[in-house]
Amino acid sequence: MTTTTTVLSARPSFVETFQRLRLGPYLFVLGVAAIDYVVIGPNQFVNALTIGAIYALVALGYTMVYGIIELINFAHGDVFMVGAFTSMFVLTQALGQDGPIDSPGMLAVVLFINFTITMIALGILGAAIERFAYRPLRHAPRLAPLITAIGVSFILQNIIQIIYGPSPINTPQVIDPAARVEIGGVSIGVVNIFTIVTAVLLMIALQMLVSRTKIGRAMRSTASDRDAAQLMGVDINRTIAITFFIGSALAGAAGVVQGLYFGNIQFTLGFQAGLKAFTAAVLGGIGNITGAALGGFVIGFVEVTAGALGFFVWGQAAVFAVLIITLVFRPSGLLGQQLGERT
Amino acid sequence: MKLRKLGGLALGAMLVAAACNTGGGATATPGAPAPGATQAPVDKGTLKIGVTLPLSGGAAADGQPTMKGAQLAVDQANEAGGIGGYKLELMVLDHAVNGKYNEQQGAQDMQTFVGDSAVVGVVGPYNSAVAKVQIPISNDAGVLQCSPANTNEALTKPEFGALDYRKNFPERINYVRVAATDDIQGPAMAVYDFNTLKLRNLLVVDDVTTFGKGVADNFQKKFEELGGTVQRVGAPADTTDFNSIISAAKPETDGVYYGGVVTSGAGLLLKQLRQQGKTFPFTGPDGIVNGSGKAEGALIQIAGAAASAGSYGTIAAIGDFPGRADFEAAYAEAFKNDADFNTAGAYSGPAYACATIILKSLEEFLKTSPDADQAAIREGVRAWASDTSNTFDTVLGTESFDKNGDTTQPFISFYVVDPAAADGAGDWVFKEQLNFAQE
Repeated sequence: MTTTTTVLSARPSFVETFQRLRLGPYLFVLGVAAIDYVVIGPNQFVNALTIGAIYALVALGYTMVYGIIELINFAHGDVFMVGAFTSMFVLTQALGQDGPIDSPGMLAVVLFINFTITMIALGILGAAIERFAYRPLRHAPRLAPLITAIGVSFILQNIIQIIYGPSPINTPQVIDPAARVEIGGVSIGVVNIFTIVTAVLLMIALQMLVSRTKIGRAMRSTASDRDAAQLMGVDINRTIAITFFIGSALAGAAGVVQGLYFGNIQFTLGFQAGLKAFTAAVLGGIGNITGAALGGFVIGFVEVTAGALGFFVWGQAAVFAVLIITLVFRPSGLLGQQLGERT
Repeated sequence: MKLRKLGGLALGAMLVAAACNTGGGATATPGAPAPGATQAPVDKGTLKIGVTLPLSGGAAADGQPTMKGAQLAVDQANEAGGIGGYKLELMVLDHAVNGKYNEQQGAQDMQTFVGDSAVVGVVGPYNSAVAKVQIPISNDAGVLQCSPANTNEALTKPEFGALDYRKNFPERINYVRVAATDDIQGPAMAVYDFNTLKLRNLLVVDDVTTFGKGVADNFQKKFEELGGTVQRVGAPADTTDFNSIISAAKPETDGVYYGGVVTSGAGLLLKQLRQQGKTFPFTGPDGIVNGSGKAEGALIQIAGAAASAGSYGTIAAIGDFPGRADFEAAYAEAFKNDADFNTAGAYSGPAYACATIILKSLEEFLKTSPDADQAAIREGVRAWASDTSNTFDTVLGTESFDKNGDTTQPFISFYVVDPAAADGAGDWVFKEQLNFAQE
């Protein structure tokens, strides 16, 4: 990735400016999207953006955690699943909803409460997982927290299975799933638009948080050199806990939209979604937030395109082929940087 | 220190996982002690009838009403004083793991039955994929297995590869079934779709399993023969997002056939079809006909009663049998305290018939050799049941089996969803039935 030529001359050429902007990966994703739009048509494009948005939200948590403590948090997919169940609990038990809400004002209030409670609850869950499962192992060999993560994943699945049983469960779709709007001659589901917009807004908010705030700076400094950050007065434990809080809260938001979009959830849903989101994070360059977001959408495109072209049964294989191809040919991902081996 | 903590956590995770995997299976409730037992001349002990079905989670809607059909038959036999001096016990094993049928667990359960010499016959399984792993085990041991619901043609018919399953004793038929096979069930729905529902361009989705792909292949072949066109898609079991399939459906599509079972995703496919505004008929084999909108994991429960309107399914068994009203009343009386499964399901009658067939074979064998030991009883029951010259008076009518163990009365029944049934929760109602007997 790094341009090794040292340019001492005064004015960089156009090509060099272009390279410095590092627009390549973005253009690549845009190009993929544009070609895909032509190939699969507007309806499928919306399908792809919608599930891509969900994968992207989950992928953010993977990439943030990896970025800061270099742990592949395999429990993250199940945190997403718990988010979907928490959202169902909030909607049915706390708010007493069982179907579409007609009044837009009421709908906004319900959604706001649902997102707030679910995201905070999941954030606390994520921070608790970090505190009790990962922090004691922070200086252990890398394999130890990885195995612990798998253990946490089982624990979360089994807790939900004990509470809600193993069957798929319907969850209230407060946004009428049949409601559609015409945009440029294409009929698009309102819930699709809601999912995409929510995801993009959350991503922008996250980007602002990481790049503009004090806590964001603490996160970035911890990620780049934990010891140096500590010497500069950054509270490492607090910063890592907040990272888990934010990543898990985003997974909670993804759980909410998953429930709204599909209307049916099961305790096993975290495993598959987790693997795909992980693939998205690797594709984008694990540790890189923008990359994870882009990667999520690319995975959505890959999966839906397989289905649109009549190879639905190969969709999963295609997604994981992307993972392998990325690891072989561009292990640092679309936006990732070559990191020195640190441990 | 650190390692110990890690070990504890991993161990804890495993314990929780183990506890959950077996937790759903505790459904074995043998009948209450028989009041009429005093009339039996001698008490020779207890023999067991095995039941191998998926009973928990999403599979409960399939398994529970079926299991209870067998339970009713065994309870009634005990109330009548047992058979030949023996009391009977129902031994129920659940091979649903995480709410779905699981082949490995099914194989393990069959080993358990085979290893218990008191087991004289087994009712089940429900899913053809499970039968594929169980038949080699029961065939080796010579244990009679009667399936109320398996339909994949390869399980019995040598021309479809059945000899691979009864490899060691190809002539010793130990697996019989009262359900019709998919080379009948698939085409039957194809004819129904083409002639009755007047569908011409179908989207056919299968779940890429033994049963689902098999029945969809049979369906497609017949439907194309009739002059319809088919757009075929495979969607592996566990698929949750069918939107890309639905959007890829050709504009002229006027119906869907789903080859598979509800736990594979039929409910979600139907739900997403309706959400995308596709109101055309949703048709499928017995895998989609699994209980009312009140039953946990049922198609109608997942998709909702309103969305399920316009769904048609087949059952590979006689739907309107002579003693149906009496049977359903007896079932409802026996299980009136069960909140979820107090009405008979489509395969309750066939399971009852299977248990009847095992009990009748036991009775006939004990008449000729009352002092046989358990191993001889097991073989005697198998031999009597699989003898093509024997007939059985069952709730479904007179049953007998051909040289492969298939029923000689292959009926296909057609069911349709009535959204208003079951107090507005929606339920499948019987429409008509056809007999596909060869002669």
